[in-house]
Amino acid sequence: MFEVRKTLTYYGFLLLLRQIREFLETLGSVGVNFYKVLKYIILFRIKPKELITQSKRFAYDSLPISLSIVGMTSAIIAMQLAPELARQGGADYTGTLSALVMVRELAVVMSGFAIISMVGSSFASEIASMAVTEQIAAMEVLRVDPIEYLIVPRVVAGFLFMPVVFIISTTFGLICAGYVSHWTAELSLLNYITSLWHGLYIRDIFIAMLKSAVFGGTIALISSSCGYSAKGGAKEVGLATTKAVVWSFLAIAVWDFIFASIFYL
Amino acid sequence: MTLEVKNLVKIFNRRKVLNNISFKVENGQTLGVVGFSGSGKSTLLKIISGILDPDGGEVIYPENSDIAMAFQYSALFDFLNVYDNIAFPLVERKDLRGKYSKEQITQIVKEKLKMVGLDGIEEKYPSELSGGMQKRVGFARAIVTNPQIILYDEPTAGLDPVTSTLIEDYIVQLKKDLNASCVVVTHQLSTIKRAVDNVIMLYQGNAVFEGSVDELLMGKNEYARQFVSAAIDGPMNIASK
Ligand SMILES: Nc1ncnc2c1ncn2[C@@H]1O[C@H](COP(=O)(O)OP(=O)(O)OP(=O)(O)O)[C@@H](O)[C@H]1O
Ligand SMILES: [Mg+2]
Repeated sequence: MFEVRKTLTYYGFLLLLRQIREFLETLGSVGVNFYKVLKYIILFRIKPKELITQSKRFAYDSLPISLSIVGMTSAIIAMQLAPELARQGGADYTGTLSALVMVRELAVVMSGFAIISMVGSSFASEIASMAVTEQIAAMEVLRVDPIEYLIVPRVVAGFLFMPVVFIISTTFGLICAGYVSHWTAELSLLNYITSLWHGLYIRDIFIAMLKSAVFGGTIALISSSCGYSAKGGAKEVGLATTKAVVWSFLAIAVWDFIFASIFYL
Repeated sequence: MTLEVKNLVKIFNRRKVLNNISFKVENGQTLGVVGFSGSGKSTLLKIISGILDPDGGEVIYPENSDIAMAFQYSALFDFLNVYDNIAFPLVERKDLRGKYSKEQITQIVKEKLKMVGLDGIEEKYPSELSGGMQKRVGFARAIVTNPQIILYDEPTAGLDPVTSTLIEDYIVQLKKDLNASCVVVTHQLSTIKRAVDNVIMLYQGNAVFEGSVDELLMGKNEYARQFVSAAIDGPMNIASK
């Protein structure tokens, strides 16, 4: 037998192996839960009361943060674009460009980030704390499927209401951009609105809504799954929450890439 | 319903927490499970209730038996108030959904709360209750569906002596009313004397004593003697893990 020398490379390798294992574990649990959730949705076994509670969290509670983030982002974009475009004689394109950038990419991604930080993290931590205090075990013993009761309504709420968040925050964002262009480049609001229409395509809006629905469902599924598989104590609740946030960010980036490749390549 | 456990083995991190545990609980019988902290009592209940899978052996009971468990740390749903916690299985369980009217459920919840001496706290949330109160609500939730197999994990731990007696009497009463098979994990001799028929004692994963309460108290078995007399010296060494 040869002896493994415990060098730095060895420990680095171990660390890498552990990361890969964790990656596969998380992927596995999200996959399994996705399958189960899909089954309940197809059978139309969705608890109305829970769905309403979770939808309120998604659409209403998260609105202040989504509005601020998307509003700020569009304001900043307009601040950068409008004076430069005006200088180069393209002021009339400010609205068009803002609409394209916001609807196609930024509004969905930014409101996704807002939802992850606001809703995803709280899904993960509350389900994780239920797991470590045996509430999920208790639910199983009471013969109520925790997937049906806890995860299905959250995923459906995310899927249905993320597009709503997207529409509201994008509208708000484009209004912000209009005012900022007006102040920074002395663009008339009427001009901005006219130019805005040129950049708004129904196709883009539909794609963005579909994308936000997928984002919403994905965030809810990943966050709930990370919470659901937590075991141990309070520390694990924190770890599960971190994991949920990191994985949701990653998933959104991947989805965004997939959507861009399918629809805009 | 008769509950039977056969050659149960459970391994955590390469350590045998349960090693070949077997017993049978007949209808209308209560088995007490005693043993040091960490001897695997809660693990045993979790395997019987199906929360954990055993690494060996099996749990046998008639199909479709209704199993209930009162958890050691209550495990109340913290996002539901006391009323919704107790009503939870009646409202959410697939086979019971729609079986009871709203008025009936209110009636049943009220009755169970009264039984554990806590009427009038329906609107409170678990975080607003003391540990002992949570425990009693957990007890009420467990038995609300009139189960045939009931598992209690330290039902009287942390309760005052009078409330303990109340709970012990209910364990006996319920067992009779429902003709249920019960398993009670407890450290308290008072609970054993009052509510239990037979006793099994676990030590380092093994069953070191099995017999009636009288046999336990008689102290012919050296493990039983050490437990009952609460002696530090004896076959069981608390320092060795
Ligand atoms: N999920 C788990 N993973 C790893 N080890 C565990 C797990 N659950 C329990 N154990 C270990 O199994 C042993 C038995 O635990 P268990 O909770 O069954 O003890 P207990 O007899 O109920 O103790 P207590 O009287 O303190 O409640 C302990 O050593 C514990 O560390
Ligand atoms: Mg225990």
